[in-house]
Amino acid sequence: MTEEKILEKVVDILKPYAKDADALAGVSLDTNILSGLKVNSARLVDVVLAFEDVFGIEVADDDADKVETVGDAVRLIQGKLA
Amino acid sequence: MGSRSGSPGLGEGAWSRRALAVQLAVGRLAAPVWVPLVVFLMRFVLRWRIRDADRTRAFYAKLLEDRRPLLVVANHLTMVDSAVIGWGLGSAAGHVRRHRGLPWNVPLQRRVESSWLWRTLAYVMKCVPVPRGGDRREVAQVLERLAHLLRCGEAVLMFPESGRSRSGRVDPEVTADGVGRLVKEVEGCRVLCVYLRGDAQRTWSNLPARGDTFTIATRVVEPRTELRGLRASRDLATQVVRHLVEMERDYLDGRAP
Repeated sequence: MTEEKILEKVVDILKPYAKDADALAGVSLDTNILSGLKVNSARLVDVVLAFEDVFGIEVADDDADKVETVGDAVRLIQGKLA
Repeated sequence: MGSRSGSPGLGEGAWSRRALAVQLAVGRLAAPVWVPLVVFLMRFVLRWRIRDADRTRAFYAKLLEDRRPLLVVANHLTMVDSAVIGWGLGSAAGHVRRHRGLPWNVPLQRRVESSWLWRTLAYVMKCVPVPRGGDRREVAQVLERLAHLLRCGEAVLMFPESGRSRSGRVDPEVTADGVGRLVKEVEGCRVLCVYLRGDAQRTWSNLPARGDTFTIATRVVEPRTELRGLRASRDLATQVVRHLVEMERDYLDGRAP
């Protein structure tokens, strides 16, 4: 799966959790999920669980801890799919 | 402090372990001063009472005889819940004598760092501040320290609801996964679910009402899961919070403790 396709799906997953819709509209790989999109930190787990469901991957706690930006999420998923 | 039941997953930094050992030693030395002072404040200045405290304390003392890790998990309605729970689980003399039974707390880092007074109090009062709503890696470091404390036989108190409940009820929708992660990583970890509520406590607040009487309901559980990774942490945390929801229902139905 291409990076663009993964990014597209990641943004779709983030939509219901992002409190800042404007930031989501202009999202990039550098956008911070918590501070940029205003996703509640407790909900970040739900986001990562959604990654697991949508991409058919398994994410360990340690891997989830490293997800700060949208780009981190995309790279994590890319790595798991490779 | 020596690790009793090593488990991979949450790595423990040697520096952090030493720092915790020093903090514990300082806290133990200071306990004969601060523990009775805090209890005096609650008992005689704020005139709080705990219903059936002797029974709760005897039950908790029995739990401490078993040296397996013990995580105390409670509902959260006021800023002093941890102090009231600590008092409910043991008398001032009991906590001074058996300091490991006084649970470690996980206060908000922002509050602790707001002044030197808070920093000092948090240090001697067995606190490991957590950056709420922040970097998961920093939170993971805090969980590593708590896991280490649990393995060393220290009791740890956590509130799984990511803050005081704005609805005044246990809210499973805002459950953070930290509790589940600790249960998963610390081998043989027991969970003491504590439901605390003052008679006058209608919803969340900074402090309970002066003269309030508290009910403390307890339930020991050992959650298990077949899931892995994040799902396991979420599942375990959800199981624990479900117990708190049931305990709240019992309380509201007038059946607790």
